[in-house]
Amino acid sequence: MLSVKLFSPRKVSLPSASLEGPAPAGDAKWVGLRMLLALTLSCLAFAARTIPFLLVLTTVNLALLWYLGNGQISLRRELKAFVWQTLVILALYLIRFQNLTGLWGGFQISWQLFLALLPSMTFVRSTSQTRIVQALNRVMPCRTAFVLSTCLKFAPHLLAEIRSIYEGQVLRGARILPRDLAKPWHWIDLLHCVVVPAVVQSMALAGNIALAARARDFGSQPKRTCWPGL
Amino acid sequence: MNPVVEPAGGLFRLSLKDALFIGFCAVFAVLARMMLRLHLHISGHAMLVTAFFLLLARGSVRYRFAASFAGLLAGSASIFLGFAKSGPFMLVKYLAVALVIDLAGLLMPNLFRNYFWCALVGGSAGATKFFTAYSVNFLAGMDRTVNFQASLLEAAGAILFGVLGGLLVPVVLRRLHAYGVIS
Repeated sequence: MLSVKLFSPRKVSLPSASLEGPAPAGDAKWVGLRMLLALTLSCLAFAARTIPFLLVLTTVNLALLWYLGNGQISLRRELKAFVWQTLVILALYLIRFQNLTGLWGGFQISWQLFLALLPSMTFVRSTSQTRIVQALNRVMPCRTAFVLSTCLKFAPHLLAEIRSIYEGQVLRGARILPRDLAKPWHWIDLLHCVVVPAVVQSMALAGNIALAARARDFGSQPKRTCWPGL
Repeated sequence: MNPVVEPAGGLFRLSLKDALFIGFCAVFAVLARMMLRLHLHISGHAMLVTAFFLLLARGSVRYRFAASFAGLLAGSASIFLGFAKSGPFMLVKYLAVALVIDLAGLLMPNLFRNYFWCALVGGSAGATKFFTAYSVNFLAGMDRTVNFQASLLEAAGAILFGVLGGLLVPVVLRRLHAYGVIS
Protein backbone atom coordinates (compact mmCIF):
# COMPACT_ATOMS: atom_id res chain seq x y z
CA MET A 1 0.00 0.00 0.00
CA LEU A 2 1.35 3.37 -0.90
CA SER A 3 1.79 5.88 1.84
CA VAL A 4 -0.06 8.85 0.51
CA LYS A 5 1.20 11.72 2.58
CA LEU A 6 -0.79 14.31 0.72
CA PHE A 7 -3.99 12.96 2.17
CA SER A 8 -2.76 11.63 5.47
CA PRO A 9 -1.62 14.52 7.69
CA ARG A 10 -4.97 15.81 8.82
CA LYS A 11 -7.93 13.75 9.88
CA VAL A 12 -11.19 15.18 8.70
CA SER A 13 -14.19 14.23 10.79
CA LEU A 14 -17.33 14.11 8.77
CA PRO A 15 -20.86 13.24 9.71
CA SER A 16 -21.83 9.61 9.88
CA ALA A 17 -25.57 9.71 10.07
CA SER A 18 -26.05 5.99 9.94
CA LEU A 19 -24.36 5.50 13.30
CA GLU A 20 -26.41 7.97 15.20
CA GLY A 21 -29.84 7.75 13.67
CA PRO A 22 -32.33 10.56 13.49
CA ALA A 23 -32.49 13.08 16.31
CA PRO A 24 -35.68 13.55 18.27
CA ALA A 25 -37.41 16.86 17.60
CA GLY A 26 -36.50 18.17 21.09
CA ASP A 27 -32.81 17.42 20.48
CA ALA A 28 -32.85 19.39 17.22
CA LYS A 29 -34.39 22.31 19.10
CA TRP A 30 -31.59 22.13 21.71
CA VAL A 31 -28.97 22.15 18.93
CA GLY A 32 -30.72 25.13 17.35
CA LEU A 33 -30.57 26.97 20.68
CA ARG A 34 -26.85 26.23 21.01
CA MET A 35 -26.32 27.49 17.46
CA LEU A 36 -28.16 30.71 18.30
CA LEU A 37 -26.17 31.12 21.52
CA ALA A 38 -22.88 30.69 19.64
CA LEU A 39 -23.87 33.27 17.04
CA THR A 40 -25.02 35.72 19.77
CA LEU A 41 -21.76 35.35 21.70
CA SER A 42 -19.76 35.86 18.48
CA CYS A 43 -21.68 39.05 17.75
CA LEU A 44 -21.31 40.26 21.35
CA ALA A 45 -17.53 39.96 21.01
CA PHE A 46 -17.62 42.76 18.45
CA ALA A 47 -19.65 44.97 20.77
CA ALA A 48 -17.30 44.43 23.74
CA ARG A 49 -15.19 47.59 23.98
CA THR A 50 -14.41 47.68 27.71
CA ILE A 51 -12.20 45.41 29.79
CA PRO A 52 -14.95 44.32 32.22
CA PHE A 53 -17.20 43.40 29.27
CA LEU A 54 -14.39 41.42 27.65
CA LEU A 55 -13.60 39.66 30.93
CA VAL A 56 -17.26 38.74 31.46
CA LEU A 57 -17.52 37.47 27.88
CA THR A 58 -14.32 35.45 28.26
CA THR A 59 -15.64 33.90 31.48
CA VAL A 60 -18.97 33.03 29.83
CA ASN A 61 -17.14 31.49 26.86
CA LEU A 62 -14.82 29.44 29.05
CA ALA A 63 -17.72 28.27 31.22
CA LEU A 64 -19.63 27.25 28.11
CA LEU A 65 -16.55 25.50 26.73
CA TRP A 66 -16.15 23.56 29.97
CA TYR A 67 -19.87 22.75 30.30
CA LEU A 68 -20.54 21.69 26.71
CA GLY A 69 -17.22 19.96 26.13
CA ASN A 70 -17.16 18.18 29.53
CA GLY A 71 -13.59 19.47 29.96
CA GLN A 72 -12.46 17.44 26.92
CA ILE A 73 -11.92 20.23 24.38
CA SER A 74 -8.32 21.41 23.93
CA LEU A 75 -7.70 25.02 23.00
CA ARG A 76 -4.11 24.54 21.85
CA ARG A 77 -4.68 25.07 18.10
CA GLU A 78 -6.88 28.11 18.67
CA LEU A 79 -4.41 29.60 21.15
CA LYS A 80 -1.60 29.23 18.60
CA ALA A 81 -3.69 31.09 16.03
CA PHE A 82 -4.47 33.73 18.68
CA VAL A 83 -0.78 34.26 19.48
CA TRP A 84 0.11 34.56 15.78
CA GLN A 85 -2.75 36.97 15.11
CA THR A 86 -1.84 39.04 18.18
CA LEU A 87 1.78 39.35 17.06
CA VAL A 88 0.76 40.60 13.60
CA ILE A 89 -1.72 43.10 15.00
CA LEU A 90 0.75 44.34 17.64
CA ALA A 91 3.43 44.82 14.99
CA LEU A 92 1.03 46.84 12.87
CA TYR A 93 -0.01 48.95 15.87
CA LEU A 94 3.64 49.55 16.75
CA ILE A 95 4.36 50.72 13.19
CA ARG A 96 1.29 52.95 13.25
CA PHE A 97 1.75 54.61 16.65
CA GLN A 98 5.57 54.39 16.93
CA ASN A 99 5.31 53.80 20.70
CA LEU A 100 4.22 51.17 23.17
CA THR A 101 1.02 52.90 24.27
CA GLY A 102 -0.89 51.67 21.24
CA LEU A 103 -0.04 48.07 21.98
CA TRP A 104 -2.81 47.63 24.53
CA GLY A 105 -5.40 48.67 21.92
CA GLY A 106 -3.97 46.12 19.51
CA PHE A 107 -4.11 43.40 22.12
CA GLN A 108 -7.72 44.27 22.91
CA ILE A 109 -8.67 43.97 19.24
CA SER A 110 -6.98 40.60 18.98
CA TRP A 111 -8.78 39.47 22.15
CA GLN A 112 -12.12 40.53 20.65
CA LEU A 113 -11.44 38.66 17.41
CA PHE A 114 -10.53 35.54 19.39
CA LEU A 115 -13.76 35.79 21.37
CA ALA A 116 -15.67 36.04 18.09
CA LEU A 117 -14.18 32.71 16.99
CA LEU A 118 -14.40 30.79 20.26
CA PRO A 119 -18.21 30.24 20.51
CA SER A 120 -18.48 28.72 17.01
CA MET A 121 -15.53 26.46 17.74
CA THR A 122 -17.07 25.34 21.06
CA PHE A 123 -20.42 24.71 19.40
CA VAL A 124 -19.02 22.67 16.56
CA ARG A 125 -16.70 20.58 18.72
CA SER A 126 -19.36 19.81 21.30
CA THR A 127 -22.19 18.95 18.91
CA SER A 128 -22.45 15.97 16.60
CA GLN A 129 -22.48 17.02 12.96
CA THR A 130 -25.53 14.91 12.21
CA ARG A 131 -27.49 16.83 14.83
CA ILE A 132 -26.25 20.09 13.33
CA VAL A 133 -27.40 19.09 9.85
CA GLN A 134 -30.78 18.01 11.20
CA ALA A 135 -31.15 21.34 12.96
CA LEU A 136 -30.19 22.97 9.67
CA ASN A 137 -33.31 21.49 8.08
CA ARG A 138 -35.31 23.86 10.24
CA VAL A 139 -33.55 27.06 9.19
CA MET A 140 -32.66 26.42 5.53
CA PRO A 141 -34.90 25.71 2.55
CA CYS A 142 -35.38 21.93 2.55
CA ARG A 143 -33.77 21.47 -0.87
CA THR A 144 -30.64 23.38 0.20
CA ALA A 145 -30.46 21.48 3.49
CA PHE A 146 -30.83 18.21 1.57
CA VAL A 147 -28.00 19.14 -0.81
CA LEU A 148 -25.71 20.23 2.05
CA SER A 149 -26.37 17.19 4.22
CA THR A 150 -26.07 14.79 1.26
CA CYS A 151 -22.79 16.31 0.10
CA LEU A 152 -21.36 16.17 3.64
CA LYS A 153 -22.53 12.57 3.98
CA PHE A 154 -21.03 11.48 0.66
CA ALA A 155 -17.81 13.49 0.98
CA PRO A 156 -15.88 10.65 2.73
CA HIS A 157 -16.93 8.28 -0.09
CA LEU A 158 -15.76 10.75 -2.69
CA LEU A 159 -12.49 11.34 -0.82
CA ALA A 160 -11.87 7.58 -0.84
CA GLU A 161 -12.47 7.57 -4.61
CA ILE A 162 -10.04 10.46 -5.05
CA ARG A 163 -7.47 8.64 -2.93
CA SER A 164 -7.67 5.57 -5.18
CA ILE A 165 -7.39 7.79 -8.27
CA TYR A 166 -4.32 9.40 -6.71
CA GLU A 167 -2.73 6.06 -5.86
CA GLY A 168 -3.48 4.72 -9.34
CA GLN A 169 -1.87 7.73 -10.95
CA VAL A 170 1.19 7.43 -8.71
CA LEU A 171 1.54 3.79 -9.78
CA ARG A 172 1.35 4.93 -13.39
CA GLY A 173 4.30 7.22 -12.70
CA ALA A 174 2.60 10.59 -12.38
CA ARG A 175 4.81 13.14 -10.67
CA ILE A 176 2.37 13.97 -7.92
CA LEU A 177 4.06 12.64 -4.80
CA PRO A 178 4.54 15.26 -2.09
CA ARG A 179 8.25 15.58 -2.93
CA ASP A 180 7.34 16.17 -6.59
CA LEU A 181 4.76 18.75 -5.65
CA ALA A 182 7.46 20.81 -3.97
CA LYS A 183 8.26 21.87 -7.55
CA PRO A 184 5.42 24.10 -8.80
CA TRP A 185 5.77 22.96 -12.45
CA HIS A 186 4.48 19.53 -11.35
CA TRP A 187 1.22 21.00 -10.06
CA ILE A 188 -0.25 20.85 -13.54
CA ASP A 189 0.18 17.05 -13.41
CA LEU A 190 -1.89 16.99 -10.23
CA LEU A 191 -4.54 18.99 -12.02
CA HIS A 192 -4.68 16.65 -15.02
CA CYS A 193 -4.22 13.34 -13.17
CA VAL A 194 -6.27 13.89 -10.03
CA VAL A 195 -8.44 17.02 -10.13
CA VAL A 196 -10.07 16.40 -13.52
CA PRO A 197 -10.95 12.72 -12.79
CA ALA A 198 -12.18 13.78 -9.32
CA VAL A 199 -14.50 16.36 -10.86
CA VAL A 200 -15.79 13.79 -13.37
CA GLN A 201 -16.33 11.33 -10.51
CA SER A 202 -18.22 13.87 -8.44
CA MET A 203 -20.43 14.70 -11.42
CA ALA A 204 -21.22 11.01 -11.88
CA LEU A 205 -21.97 10.62 -8.17
CA ALA A 206 -24.21 13.70 -8.23
CA GLY A 207 -26.10 12.19 -11.18
CA ASN A 208 -26.58 8.88 -9.36
CA ILE A 209 -27.78 10.51 -6.14
CA ALA A 210 -30.17 12.75 -8.05
CA LEU A 211 -31.58 9.76 -9.89
CA ALA A 212 -31.99 7.81 -6.64
CA ALA A 213 -33.72 10.78 -5.05
CA ARG A 214 -36.07 11.14 -8.04
CA ALA A 215 -36.85 7.43 -7.82
CA ARG A 216 -38.00 8.12 -4.25
CA ASP A 217 -40.21 10.95 -5.49
CA PHE A 218 -37.92 13.66 -4.10
CA GLY A 219 -39.34 17.06 -4.92
CA SER A 220 -42.89 15.88 -5.54
CA GLN A 221 -44.00 17.56 -2.29
CA PRO A 222 -43.31 21.23 -1.53
CA LYS A 223 -41.95 20.31 1.94
CA ARG A 224 -39.52 17.48 2.50
CA THR A 225 -41.10 14.35 3.93
CA CYS A 226 -39.12 11.67 5.73
CA TRP A 227 -39.38 9.00 8.37
CA PRO A 228 -39.13 9.34 11.32
CA GLY A 229 -40.03 13.04 11.32
CA LEU A 230 -37.22 15.62 11.54
CA MET B 1 -45.73 6.07 -11.21
CA ASN B 2 -43.53 8.94 -12.33
CA PRO B 3 -40.75 8.13 -14.76
CA VAL B 4 -37.34 8.42 -13.06
CA VAL B 5 -35.89 11.19 -15.19
CA GLU B 6 -33.90 14.06 -13.82
CA PRO B 7 -35.07 17.29 -15.51
CA ALA B 8 -32.25 19.31 -17.03
CA GLY B 9 -31.20 22.53 -15.37
CA GLY B 10 -30.99 25.88 -17.10
CA LEU B 11 -30.13 29.52 -16.63
CA PHE B 12 -32.86 30.04 -14.05
CA ARG B 13 -33.63 26.54 -12.81
CA LEU B 14 -31.20 24.40 -10.92
CA SER B 15 -31.59 20.64 -11.37
CA LEU B 16 -30.92 18.37 -8.40
CA LYS B 17 -27.90 16.85 -10.16
CA ASP B 18 -26.36 20.27 -10.73
CA ALA B 19 -27.22 21.33 -7.18
CA LEU B 20 -25.44 18.24 -5.84
CA PHE B 21 -22.40 18.87 -8.05
CA ILE B 22 -22.25 22.45 -6.79
CA GLY B 23 -22.56 21.05 -3.27
CA PHE B 24 -19.57 18.79 -3.87
CA CYS B 25 -17.57 21.76 -5.16
CA ALA B 26 -18.49 23.67 -2.00
CA VAL B 27 -17.57 20.78 0.29
CA PHE B 28 -14.28 20.31 -1.59
CA ALA B 29 -13.50 24.00 -1.19
CA VAL B 30 -13.82 23.59 2.56
CA LEU B 31 -12.12 20.18 2.82
CA ALA B 32 -9.18 21.23 0.64
CA ARG B 33 -8.53 24.07 3.06
CA MET B 34 -8.64 21.63 5.94
CA MET B 35 -6.41 18.94 4.43
CA LEU B 36 -3.91 20.88 2.38
CA ARG B 37 -3.08 23.47 4.99
CA LEU B 38 0.03 25.04 3.59
CA HIS B 39 1.33 26.57 6.84
CA LEU B 40 2.78 29.36 4.72
CA HIS B 41 1.69 32.10 7.09
CA ILE B 42 0.88 34.03 3.93
CA SER B 43 -2.43 35.75 4.31
CA GLY B 44 -5.03 34.81 1.73
CA HIS B 45 -3.62 31.48 0.52
CA ALA B 46 -7.01 29.86 1.17
CA MET B 47 -8.33 31.98 -1.70
CA LEU B 48 -6.62 29.60 -4.15
CA VAL B 49 -9.06 26.77 -3.47
CA THR B 50 -12.01 29.07 -2.81
CA ALA B 51 -11.66 30.89 -6.13
CA PHE B 52 -10.92 27.66 -7.99
CA PHE B 53 -13.93 25.69 -6.74
CA LEU B 54 -16.40 28.56 -6.95
CA LEU B 55 -15.28 29.37 -10.50
CA LEU B 56 -15.45 25.67 -11.36
CA ALA B 57 -18.99 25.42 -9.98
CA ARG B 58 -20.10 28.40 -12.08
CA GLY B 59 -18.19 27.31 -15.17
CA SER B 60 -19.52 23.73 -15.21
CA VAL B 61 -23.18 24.51 -14.62
CA ARG B 62 -25.43 26.73 -16.70
CA TYR B 63 -27.34 28.07 -13.68
CA ARG B 64 -26.51 31.76 -13.35
CA PHE B 65 -26.31 31.84 -9.54
CA ALA B 66 -24.24 28.66 -9.24
CA ALA B 67 -21.31 30.36 -7.51
CA SER B 68 -23.58 32.07 -4.98
CA PHE B 69 -25.23 28.75 -4.21
CA ALA B 70 -21.79 27.14 -3.83
CA GLY B 71 -20.69 30.05 -1.61
CA LEU B 72 -23.75 29.65 0.59
CA LEU B 73 -23.13 25.93 0.94
CA ALA B 74 -19.38 26.34 1.52
CA GLY B 75 -19.97 29.01 4.18
CA SER B 76 -22.52 26.83 5.95
CA ALA B 77 -20.33 23.75 5.66
CA SER B 78 -17.28 25.56 7.03
CA ILE B 79 -19.28 26.83 10.00
CA PHE B 80 -20.58 23.35 10.73
CA LEU B 81 -17.25 21.61 10.16
CA GLY B 82 -15.62 23.94 12.65
CA PHE B 83 -13.42 25.74 10.19
CA ALA B 84 -14.93 29.17 10.52
CA LYS B 85 -12.12 31.29 11.91
CA SER B 86 -14.33 34.35 11.91
CA GLY B 87 -17.54 32.66 13.00
CA PRO B 88 -20.70 33.77 11.19
CA PHE B 89 -18.64 36.08 8.94
CA MET B 90 -17.35 33.02 7.10
CA LEU B 91 -20.65 32.91 5.24
CA VAL B 92 -20.26 36.55 4.19
CA LYS B 93 -16.69 35.90 3.03
CA TYR B 94 -17.70 33.05 0.75
CA LEU B 95 -20.76 34.90 -0.52
CA ALA B 96 -18.76 38.02 -1.36
CA VAL B 97 -16.35 35.96 -3.49
CA ALA B 98 -19.26 34.09 -5.10
CA LEU B 99 -21.19 37.25 -5.96
CA VAL B 100 -18.21 38.65 -7.87
CA ILE B 101 -17.95 35.41 -9.86
CA ASP B 102 -21.69 35.31 -10.60
CA LEU B 103 -21.68 38.95 -11.63
CA ALA B 104 -18.75 38.35 -13.97
CA GLY B 105 -20.47 35.25 -15.36
CA LEU B 106 -23.60 37.30 -15.96
CA LEU B 107 -21.69 39.97 -17.89
CA MET B 108 -19.39 37.60 -19.82
CA PRO B 109 -20.93 34.12 -20.09
CA ASN B 110 -17.91 32.69 -21.94
CA LEU B 111 -15.22 33.92 -19.59
CA PHE B 112 -14.63 30.50 -18.00
CA ARG B 113 -12.63 29.16 -20.97
CA ASN B 114 -10.36 32.20 -21.12
CA TYR B 115 -7.21 32.36 -18.97
CA PHE B 116 -7.05 36.14 -18.82
CA TRP B 117 -10.65 36.68 -17.77
CA CYS B 118 -10.54 33.81 -15.29
CA ALA B 119 -7.41 35.26 -13.69
CA LEU B 120 -9.03 38.70 -13.59
CA VAL B 121 -12.21 37.37 -12.00
CA GLY B 122 -10.17 35.27 -9.55
CA GLY B 123 -8.20 38.37 -8.58
CA SER B 124 -11.35 40.46 -8.23
CA ALA B 125 -12.92 37.74 -6.11
CA GLY B 126 -9.79 37.75 -3.95
CA ALA B 127 -10.06 41.54 -3.60
CA THR B 128 -13.32 41.11 -1.68
CA LYS B 129 -11.14 39.98 1.20
CA PHE B 130 -10.26 43.65 1.72
CA PHE B 131 -13.88 44.56 2.43
CA THR B 132 -14.63 41.56 4.60
CA ALA B 133 -11.42 41.94 6.61
CA TYR B 134 -12.00 45.70 6.94
CA SER B 135 -15.59 45.16 8.10
CA VAL B 136 -14.62 42.58 10.71
CA ASN B 137 -11.81 44.76 12.09
CA PHE B 138 -14.01 47.86 11.93
CA LEU B 139 -16.70 46.12 13.96
CA ALA B 140 -14.03 45.17 16.48
CA GLY B 141 -13.11 48.87 16.69
CA MET B 142 -9.62 48.73 15.18
CA ASP B 143 -7.86 52.02 14.42
CA ARG B 144 -8.79 53.15 10.90
CA THR B 145 -5.26 53.42 9.51
CA VAL B 146 -4.10 50.13 11.01
CA ASN B 147 -7.30 48.51 9.77
CA PHE B 148 -6.68 49.83 6.26
CA GLN B 149 -3.09 48.54 6.25
CA ALA B 150 -3.98 45.16 7.75
CA SER B 151 -6.87 44.66 5.31
CA LEU B 152 -4.72 45.72 2.39
CA LEU B 153 -2.05 43.23 3.45
CA GLU B 154 -4.61 40.43 3.62
CA ALA B 155 -6.24 41.44 0.34
CA ALA B 156 -2.90 41.52 -1.53
CA GLY B 157 -2.27 37.87 -0.71
CA ALA B 158 -5.86 36.93 -1.50
CA ILE B 159 -5.68 38.65 -4.91
CA LEU B 160 -2.47 36.83 -5.79
CA PHE B 161 -3.88 33.43 -4.84
CA GLY B 162 -7.25 34.27 -6.42
CA VAL B 163 -5.46 34.90 -9.72
CA LEU B 164 -3.66 31.54 -9.40
CA GLY B 165 -6.94 29.77 -8.60
CA GLY B 166 -8.58 31.45 -11.59
CA LEU B 167 -5.78 30.36 -13.93
CA LEU B 168 -6.41 26.69 -13.08
CA VAL B 169 -10.07 26.78 -14.08
CA PRO B 170 -9.83 26.94 -17.91
CA VAL B 171 -7.46 23.92 -17.90
CA VAL B 172 -10.00 21.79 -16.04
CA LEU B 173 -13.03 23.07 -17.95
CA ARG B 174 -11.37 22.42 -21.31
CA ARG B 175 -10.63 18.84 -20.28
CA LEU B 176 -14.19 18.35 -19.05
CA HIS B 177 -15.49 19.78 -22.30
CA ALA B 178 -13.20 17.49 -24.30
CA TYR B 179 -14.54 14.47 -22.38
CA GLY B 180 -18.08 15.62 -23.13
CA VAL B 181 -18.93 15.87 -19.43
CA ILE B 182 -20.07 19.49 -19.79
CA SER B 183 -21.54 21.23 -22.80
